[in-house]
Amino acid sequence: MSPEDEKDAPEEKGSVKGTVKDFFYGMAMQGMVRYALKTRMYLEHLFMLITLGDMLGIPILPPYYSLKLLPYAVPNIKTWKRTLFKERDFTDALF
Amino acid sequence: MAQKMSDYYKANPDLRIAVFAGKGGLGKTTCSAALSDWLAREGRRALCFSTDPQASLSDIFEKDIFGKGRQELVDQLYVMEIDADKRIAAFQQEVRQKILDMYGIKEIPKEIDEYITAAAAEPAMHESATYDAMAGLLASQEYDFYVFDMPPFGHGIRMVSMARILDMWIDKMEETRLKAQEYGDTAYQLQQKGAGAGQDEMLRELQEIREKLGFFQDILTDSKRTAFYMVVAPEKMAILDTERALDMFRRMDITLTGVIVNQVYPRELLKRKDLSQFMRDRIEMQQKYMIEIEKKLGDYVCAVIPMFDREPKGLKMITKVADIMMNWSGKIVED
Repeated sequence: MSPEDEKDAPEEKGSVKGTVKDFFYGMAMQGMVRYALKTRMYLEHLFMLITLGDMLGIPILPPYYSLKLLPYAVPNIKTWKRTLFKERDFTDALF
Repeated sequence: MAQKMSDYYKANPDLRIAVFAGKGGLGKTTCSAALSDWLAREGRRALCFSTDPQASLSDIFEKDIFGKGRQELVDQLYVMEIDADKRIAAFQQEVRQKILDMYGIKEIPKEIDEYITAAAAEPAMHESATYDAMAGLLASQEYDFYVFDMPPFGHGIRMVSMARILDMWIDKMEETRLKAQEYGDTAYQLQQKGAGAGQDEMLRELQEIREKLGFFQDILTDSKRTAFYMVVAPEKMAILDTERALDMFRRMDITLTGVIVNQVYPRELLKRKDLSQFMRDRIEMQQKYMIEIEKKLGDYVCAVIPMFDREPKGLKMITKVADIMMNWSGKIVED
């Protein structure tokens, strides 16, 4: 659980109700949340590729418009590049 | 007999834009300046805007206006010649400042700064910056009439096709962005954290770009609001170029309003006994091409402007050209 989650529900921690809730969340929801977040990440990376593909030598959008969108993308650029350049093998498909 | 250009403008009061395209050096800028001058004299607030990197409005009006923003020449007549390099530099600075302000940092990360510098050096940058300036001007609706003097390359209408491609990409980008947002929101809801990340600034910016481009594209392809002209001279290359452009116009759903034949040596000169052989040959060659123009582009020709004994420079000469251009109703080839 992330620190943010703990902040959200401090009184439930340790209680029976909280434990049951976490149990069901883990069983039913966690997979879905993970899937949703992962899909969002892929879509966001695709978006970054269209917008700032130029940075990696893939020119799609005219640079003028890339520059217009650049300021909003600054915090994600590092992660995006790292993910894109990461070496991949079959274990990636498993986890 | 063709309709006089002045009558055409009087009969179509909804016209707000005129675009002049054609091969380089045939007088697009002169014609743009002439039309603007005529419109201003008709009491319409007119802006003559040059998008030509080898801009020559400064030469024509004999006043340094390059990169100086909008200038009022005479009553109701405004001219503007953009300095694309200067604009790009300002734009780069704007992007840098935005990043600094948004994240409260003192220095731009090296790789981002390098990207900003590299992106600005790309050739498409000039076109986009010019295009954006045009779209911005139109959106401001500050003038009654806009006259655009297009650069020779690609007949200037490449800008319209660029808008289409961009529009397609922006569609895709918006789609991915919205989908990503949807997935994010779902994840948040499943985690029972309430709403998602909230207003997406990037999406807002994208929509703004698209609106601007959409508006520009709509207006350019609407023949009730926009008049497209090709300037041609009685020369083989110019005629071929115009034919190609006509074909391109058709493919892009743009209606060509008219063809202006410029730099035509007066045929009466042939009657002069002291005319040199050189001039005689040249005039006869032009007459031969005038027949070709009549055959191939005859339906479009809306004005024939003669070659003058001096360069059409200065407001007085421009007014003279304007009067000839706007009131021409003769024959393309005299009997």
